[in-house]
Amino acid sequence: MKSFLKIITSDYLQRTRSYAFLVTLCATLAIAYTFVPEPNATYSTIRIDGYVGLYNSAWFGYVTAIMTSIFLSLIGFYLINSGIKTDIDTRVGQIIAATKINNFSYLFSKVLSNFLVLLTIVLIVLTMSIILFLLYNDGRVLEMTQFLKPYTLITLPAIFLVAVLAVISEVFFGKYSVLQNLGFFFLFSALMLFTPKTEAQFSLDVFGGKIVTHELEEIVRGITKSDGKTDLTIGYVLGGVKNSKKFEFNGMDFPASFVISRLALVLLGILVIGLISPFFHRFNVKERIKMTPLRTEAKKHTSKEINLSNLSIPKTNYSILPIVKTEFLLLFRKGKKWLWLLNFIGMLSLAMLPLKLSHQMVLPILWFLQISRLSDLTTKEITNNAHYFAFSSYKTTSRLLLSRLLSAVLLMLLLVTPLAVRLALTVNFFATLSVILGAIFIVLLAAVLGTLSKGKKLFEVLFFMLTYANINGISYADYFGGFEHHKLYIRTLASVLVILGAIIFVTRRHQLKNY
Amino acid sequence: MIATVSKPSEGIISLNKNNIVKDANYMRKQLGFLPQDFGVYPNLNAYEFLAYMAAMKGIGGANLKPRIDQLLEGLNLTDAAKKPIGSYSGGMKQRIGIAQTLLNNPKILIFDEPTVGLDPEERVRFRNLISDLANDCIVILSSHIVSDIDTIADRVVIMKDGALINQGSQESIIQNVSDKVFETTIKKEQLYSFKAAHVVVSTFRKKDELQVRYISNNPTENSRLQVANLEDAYLYLTKNN
Repeated sequence: MKSFLKIITSDYLQRTRSYAFLVTLCATLAIAYTFVPEPNATYSTIRIDGYVGLYNSAWFGYVTAIMTSIFLSLIGFYLINSGIKTDIDTRVGQIIAATKINNFSYLFSKVLSNFLVLLTIVLIVLTMSIILFLLYNDGRVLEMTQFLKPYTLITLPAIFLVAVLAVISEVFFGKYSVLQNLGFFFLFSALMLFTPKTEAQFSLDVFGGKIVTHELEEIVRGITKSDGKTDLTIGYVLGGVKNSKKFEFNGMDFPASFVISRLALVLLGILVIGLISPFFHRFNVKERIKMTPLRTEAKKHTSKEINLSNLSIPKTNYSILPIVKTEFLLLFRKGKKWLWLLNFIGMLSLAMLPLKLSHQMVLPILWFLQISRLSDLTTKEITNNAHYFAFSSYKTTSRLLLSRLLSAVLLMLLLVTPLAVRLALTVNFFATLSVILGAIFIVLLAAVLGTLSKGKKLFEVLFFMLTYANINGISYADYFGGFEHHKLYIRTLASVLVILGAIIFVTRRHQLKNY
Repeated sequence: MIATVSKPSEGIISLNKNNIVKDANYMRKQLGFLPQDFGVYPNLNAYEFLAYMAAMKGIGGANLKPRIDQLLEGLNLTDAAKKPIGSYSGGMKQRIGIAQTLLNNPKILIFDEPTVGLDPEERVRFRNLISDLANDCIVILSSHIVSDIDTIADRVVIMKDGALINQGSQESIIQNVSDKVFETTIKKEQLYSFKAAHVVVSTFRKKDELQVRYISNNPTENSRLQVANLEDAYLYLTKNN
């Protein structure tokens, strides 16, 4: 029991003490700040037929609990899905494997530390929502139960399940981060689409918010005296706020079946961990590259000795082309070879499917498949422990960084060549240019977030959110010109690129100077 | 800091009257640096990795390929040159690290704990290589393995907690303990109190007794004066500063 608790606390502290966690926490807080719009804001987050709730404790508590449940389930997975991988990379896993702890205890400790990481974020969001209530409310009393009840029954079971899913995906797809990312992406989308029709079915809603939104719809139906379908929107909806009407929501009593279902979800999660524990590799993992032939190399030594004065003298050459070439090779070879099959299918789809579908759906998914290639673009020398070579080289900032950006843009453009050619052939230069700028944008975003957070999680989370928004047709998240836009779109996108470019070069230079 | 990877909190580091803290690229152009604990990109082969390193160092041209070939051959890596570095043994990775330090015709070589992880045969080969390289350029070797230093270095600097505590030729450093190193035989149970009174360099078990080599200004009775070496001097200076 003692070692079990030790693993949980050590793992939790190791993760939360990182700079990357701090940056991610700041980003989460910034997003959480928008969950309940300030009174004069021009957007809404939950709206039913043009109605929004009065700013009382229940509205703040339930809205932030639902938004946190969805939002943290969406991004939380990417924050915590490397707990076992970290133990492999740091080789702590080999030490753990030699201890008495059994597979279930180890995996369950990972679930709990995952849960604790997400719980930390939930507690901070909860605190922030209380502070926001105190700032925005118009003389209404703070009722703590209206905050604690929805967070306990909606948010906590959802994040526990995400913590379980992260461990399951690591056990079965530990070596295939692309499959983990994609698998969760589609699972999340499918779970979001689930629409309960009866009270019993609300128990099956993993994120737990639908029972509340159903209650909100019922209240609005009561006000409007309509029996028909209501127009419920969850997410950021711009405009129309001034005309929206207010209604009073005073919380709800959750049916016993729903409360039991939350408990059952948690127990089911624990049971699944128990069932999968025999499949856990217990750190008996093969190296990434087969090494038997070379490990046993014959000790036949060359008779040639190195004499510096007899070696060929190379010329000075500050061209970045050789670096671009190697960086491109590194990107190309990253991950399993067979995963390139997915890229080829994506490229083929870009060439064959209807143009609009290719542009709006296939392109963001195909680029999202490159998430692990992009996420460590500016941190790979650190993760590969090759930074001493890079940092003691000539003019590192300008040459190495530029080469990395160029090679990544080249890869992203290569992948969407079929679409770019089709767009150019239809003389749609606006869209063609948008795709090119989109490739540059996503590469620069990866570089900036990687450099600022010194890790890859922040970019992975944001890239996932962006792609999810793209696929759901949210046009203001469109960075590749897939939707109809104003003429200023290109100019705005280009300006963003200039800003990102400036940030990356300045921060990188600053980091190297202060390493 | 000399390799320009990190900056000193105070003071300057100058090379040919150039302050390399301000102008790091002056040093980088003529530097070959082998860090203690370095990684490589496992998906690249030796040739690709060295070509990549050469590009980062700002060198190229027609002579680059022959130079890489010569280095790979001299370091016994020609056969493995086309295999991914991820499949190399520790010693082979270390040799790749050495090869990259020599790519740019360096004037200064910095080796940080270069023999850690090498087997005895490779360690001897590496020591010989450093001695050869020292004929053509300045070699700065940092190591806690004194036997590496005393077979290679003509000038030794001893540091403790980031401060320089002694420097000079090996002979002048050993001079500090020339009449202070002794050997004696004690009972096993005396070892704890003996260590409290003297700097013990080594112990050798002999049935129920221990043969002890130690450094002291006040030797015990029946102690025999020994010929001091660099390791004795290192222990004496670091314990007394």
